[in-house]
Amino acid sequence: MTLRDAIARFVGRGSSIGLGGQNIGRVPVGPVHEIIRQGHRDLVLYGCNLSISMDLLVGAGLVRRCESGTGNLERFGTTFCWRRAIESGSIEVEDYSHLAMVSRFLAGEMGVPFMPIKSLLGSDILNHCSRTDFKKFELIANPWKNDDIVVLVPAVTPDVSIIHVQKADAMGNVIIEGFATHEPEMVRASQHTIVTCEEVLDTDEIRNDPERTTIAFPHVSAVVHQPWGAYPTSTYRYYDYDADEIRRYQAAARVGGDAYRRYLHEYVYECPTFDQYLAKVCPPGRREELELSMRSVL
Amino acid sequence: MGHYTLQELMVIEAARHILDGDVVFVGGGLPLLATTFAQRTHAANLCFVVESGAIAPLVLPTPISVSDPKLMHKAVRLGTLRDVLGCLLQRGLVDVGFLGGAQIDRFGNINSTAIGDYRRPAVRLPGCGGANDIASHARRLLIVTKHEQRRFPTACDYITSPGYLNGPDGRQKVGLPVTHPSLTVVTDLAVLEINPATGQLQVSQLMPGVSVDVVQEKTGFPLTVTRPTRFVQVPTDEEVHTLRELDPTGVYLTPEARDERSVHGQEKQ
Repeated sequence: MTLRDAIARFVGRGSSIGLGGQNIGRVPVGPVHEIIRQGHRDLVLYGCNLSISMDLLVGAGLVRRCESGTGNLERFGTTFCWRRAIESGSIEVEDYSHLAMVSRFLAGEMGVPFMPIKSLLGSDILNHCSRTDFKKFELIANPWKNDDIVVLVPAVTPDVSIIHVQKADAMGNVIIEGFATHEPEMVRASQHTIVTCEEVLDTDEIRNDPERTTIAFPHVSAVVHQPWGAYPTSTYRYYDYDADEIRRYQAAARVGGDAYRRYLHEYVYECPTFDQYLAKVCPPGRREELELSMRSVL
Repeated sequence: MGHYTLQELMVIEAARHILDGDVVFVGGGLPLLATTFAQRTHAANLCFVVESGAIAPLVLPTPISVSDPKLMHKAVRLGTLRDVLGCLLQRGLVDVGFLGGAQIDRFGNINSTAIGDYRRPAVRLPGCGGANDIASHARRLLIVTKHEQRRFPTACDYITSPGYLNGPDGRQKVGLPVTHPSLTVVTDLAVLEINPATGQLQVSQLMPGVSVDVVQEKTGFPLTVTRPTRFVQVPTDEEVHTLRELDPTGVYLTPEARDERSVHGQEKQ
């Protein structure tokens, strides 16, 4: 299946989307470009430490609501489109901690309605909720211990999760190398999952080494071969993040307005496929540098 | 004694609060540099943990993000967010939670979410991330931040991560699992610690050449000072050299601060 077909099939107006990756690592930039080209609106985004993926979708005007732990690019600055959208009131945001979000995915993947946690107590995260018809949390007394307050957070079951990984097979088995962030819980909680990968393995390779499988095929709807699919963020063992390209994005995002529209036009809308974007901004010599940079830290 | 900046000493002093063998849950920004420094100096056996899922990496300079591959180097496990935030942190196995601060109030509460009204903020900050989890569950909380008045308001606009909330037993009252953690804030002017009797920050050490008045001037709430006044230990040349080697391109050690180096060095002479 092509990326275009996978997005067209599993993403639509109003979809709730679980976004994989973390900050400058394995962000599913390729699939996000395709969502923007197809223009699916009113999206609800779920994730933990979200960066360029969320910022691109918000900047393209496709997002209605975000539930996550944070939006930022650390040393590269914040997620400017997301920040502006919150400050101007054009998107809803529901703040949770990262443990709260991963616990919500854990509830989702276990098929139970909520999960207890001991974070958030005493904080303003429990004092503000984005809307009256959403129950953000519940406090209960621990039934097994006196004077112990527990926070319940609701399960999340996204319509579709989108992750970029190192290896997968056509059957839908996924190998994540390096850190896996919130992805295993999020993917198994989702109705559908689109996986883009650096390499497609033969299923025999999966069967010969099954303990390497991070997520098995029943949780995966589509596998798309998209080398460099996380660019300009890194993919562990394959390539490092590209600081220059992240800065190029941030320069446009920081300014917003016409500068940002020009960015989207030149690097997303005018590139019919993600490979064409890559050809435009990351020539072979640059790719070798980023591969070398990754190998040097392994 | 050679030249150093107060920013450099801030990082070095923060690192001194990490003991060899500690399990340290490290947030983004300056804590990454300070913990790497501790690992390269007095705390070779610290267990570095970051929320992307890395456990006990031997960190290479200079990580710029909690998902930087340089933070994955020679880890004993690269796992999940749940592995580290759940099975280590919430489970109660983390000694030190190490955060950078946006706003810190008199009770040591941290705001990294919004300046102004949360619903329509004047400035929307990145948000909670794992900071609330770290502040809720670590046995010792360590915060490193530049000392500016806007960063030290009487009360945070939004409490993202709990310090002592509103008093000495504030945490216990709301049911937080760690009721009375040590809480230390290291800045480029002073070291602040929670006074257990009041649940409020007080000055426990001053940076060399810095007066209480200067610290008070840059703090939005009244400070008390522990007596006798102690000064932060001046760094050795080797410490400063090691720190600079960990950030050769100035990712964290800012050019402005490097300009201050000579100024401060002259003050010391």
